[in-house]
Amino acid sequence: MDQELLMKQIVEQVMAAMNKGTVSAPSSTPAGGRMTAANYPLAEKEAAKIKTPTGKPFSSLSYEKVLSGELTSDDMRISPETLEYQAQVAESVNREAFAGNLRRAAELIAVPDERLLEIYNALRPYRSTKQELIDIANELDGKYGAKTAAGLVREAAEVYEKRDRLKKF
Amino acid sequence: MKSKRFEALAARPVNQDGYVQEWPEVGLIAMNSPFDPKPSIKIEGGRIVEMDGKTRADFDMLDTFIADHAIRLGNAEKAMAMDSLDIARKIVDINVSRDEILDITLSVTPAKLTEIVGNLNIVEIMMGMTKMRARLMPANQCHVTNVKDNPVQIAADAAEAAVRGFAEMETTVGIARYAPFNAMALFVGAQAGRPGIMTQCALEEATELQLGMRGFTTYAETISVYGTEPVFMDGDDTPYSKAFLASCYASRGLKMRFTSGTGSEVQMGYAEGKSMLYLEARCLAVTKGAGVQGTQNGSVSCVGVPAGVPGGIRAIAAENLIAMLLDLESTTSNDQTFTHSDLRRVARSVPQLFSGTDYICSGYSATPNYDNMFAGSNWDADDYDDWNIIQRDMRIDGGLQPVKEDDVIKARNKAARALQGMFRELGLPPITDEEVEAATYARGSEDMPNRNVNEDLKAIEDMMARKVTGVDFVKALDKAGFPDVAQNIYNMLRQKVAGDYLHTASIFDKDFHVYSGVNAPNDYHGPMTGYQLSEERWEQIKNIPNAIRPEDI
Repeated sequence: MDQELLMKQIVEQVMAAMNKGTVSAPSSTPAGGRMTAANYPLAEKEAAKIKTPTGKPFSSLSYEKVLSGELTSDDMRISPETLEYQAQVAESVNREAFAGNLRRAAELIAVPDERLLEIYNALRPYRSTKQELIDIANELDGKYGAKTAAGLVREAAEVYEKRDRLKKF
Repeated sequence: MKSKRFEALAARPVNQDGYVQEWPEVGLIAMNSPFDPKPSIKIEGGRIVEMDGKTRADFDMLDTFIADHAIRLGNAEKAMAMDSLDIARKIVDINVSRDEILDITLSVTPAKLTEIVGNLNIVEIMMGMTKMRARLMPANQCHVTNVKDNPVQIAADAAEAAVRGFAEMETTVGIARYAPFNAMALFVGAQAGRPGIMTQCALEEATELQLGMRGFTTYAETISVYGTEPVFMDGDDTPYSKAFLASCYASRGLKMRFTSGTGSEVQMGYAEGKSMLYLEARCLAVTKGAGVQGTQNGSVSCVGVPAGVPGGIRAIAAENLIAMLLDLESTTSNDQTFTHSDLRRVARSVPQLFSGTDYICSGYSATPNYDNMFAGSNWDADDYDDWNIIQRDMRIDGGLQPVKEDDVIKARNKAARALQGMFRELGLPPITDEEVEAATYARGSEDMPNRNVNEDLKAIEDMMARKVTGVDFVKALDKAGFPDVAQNIYNMLRQKVAGDYLHTASIFDKDFHVYSGVNAPNDYHGPMTGYQLSEERWEQIKNIPNAIRPEDI
């Protein structure tokens, strides 16, 4: 019933947009602006809303631009906003744990590859002291605004201490 | 006197397999162990303070992670209070929808999940799979490896496997330093065979992520989790490090799933006296709690352990079902070889093949068994026609289809030539015309000339230092005269920007249209519902080249 209502809303919005002659922007985002399964796949239905982390519109990406060097591997990445949209899609089909992972991931986009690998390794058993883990959490939080990722690292610090899985000297 | 009958039976392949009696005290029991904890839950102040007979003070690391992340609290007390047998009956009741089941099963503990599926016989487990898998249509995944780590052969085998129907492909290495070549050969070969196939390279965790970040792969699977804390530590990870790793992948637009399976804890010596299935339920709860979209499970590389105990193969199907009950993409093993008996290996695959799962095999070997670097697979390239005819016999979609020899030769040749051109443009050691020719017609690495391994490894080191990425593959392939393959690689890279394929049970068709649990959810609710073979697909499956046509007689 909700789904049906939603579909109806979407169709109405699209029809309204078409009547105004704005056919080029067939946005089907329902009122409130949250993405749902009806907007999926975003690459097909919401291309206008997706941007690369370098700020280039998804619809502007092209094979020719890769060949000419105008697009580099830095452009072929996902942005925090897109991951947030995908998290909303996941929530609309009751996958809130998965949505949580996507939001944590959105925060980690800003962390460079090398540093991300270092942090992952530091979270493995017996690699870090409690203080080292807390420092990482503060870095994630302070430097990158990665609040949920920082929360996970703080949680790990507590549990590792309790279970004796911190670095031994 | 010796019985001649018994003499003949003793010589049968099935009697070369190993079997063991149950020994519940050390965890050598598939499911329904008297030592499995009784399901329980207590919630205070929005927090689980008791789970499966343990209070929070006694929680180990896995209990803590599961209690804090894996169980929906809102409905938990109600769901836990339901009779497990009633829930089991709902699973096979076509009048109870998948969503209604998930409302219950996403709110219960590992011991409860184990108890629920413990009530189901093998046919009921299969009925459960048919209803509970995430994606509407089943698919299949293959391994593409060889003992020589020959990249030309990998490309050709991948292209053939693509033509045969696999939606996903996985490679790994004999020599670890060969990984980048194997990954790029698989990527190019798959895209030369059929656009939109996802590829991965199984490696040590951090290295695997690195290749993904570089655009050498499009997803990852070998992210292992275990059911007891000591084994998790032996695996050099924790639920927290693995959850963080899961987010690392998504942050780079890469699909990923975890891996686990019954028997790993016994094999590694720390089963804590629990049944294999209960420990696997804990693995799956950790997977759910980490927010991962799916799992590769079904004993996988530990299959020898459950296969040796009574009811072990039923338990493997049961663990696949638990994954589905947790709304995870189910990539259902039928992977490592476990028996000398052809009868047994087919029976082992019946539950997943006949019910259909998101990926029936999580390694069907696309090479002869001697080239499979995952220690051999239950199904391999020499079984392609058997698989096709079983599909035809049973009118099922196992993800593959019969092919024409000409088409396969063409695809293999194109993939080998594309890789040859790409190597040339990237300044890598040459692939000779002789190698291309051999790969085009090869059955396995015995038919391939040897490469200069030292030269390859040096070139790989240099290529990685030069920071070559997937974008460079696109340019090189275009320059080499393979713009269509280059376009396909580009399209896969482009998908990472949109992230649609991060979702549960995603696959791409040849036009890069994504099908997942979001836009193609399984809606089975009884006969003539759910996935139905289209006329077109049935034509494809049933028309084997060697069937006599009435008009020819």
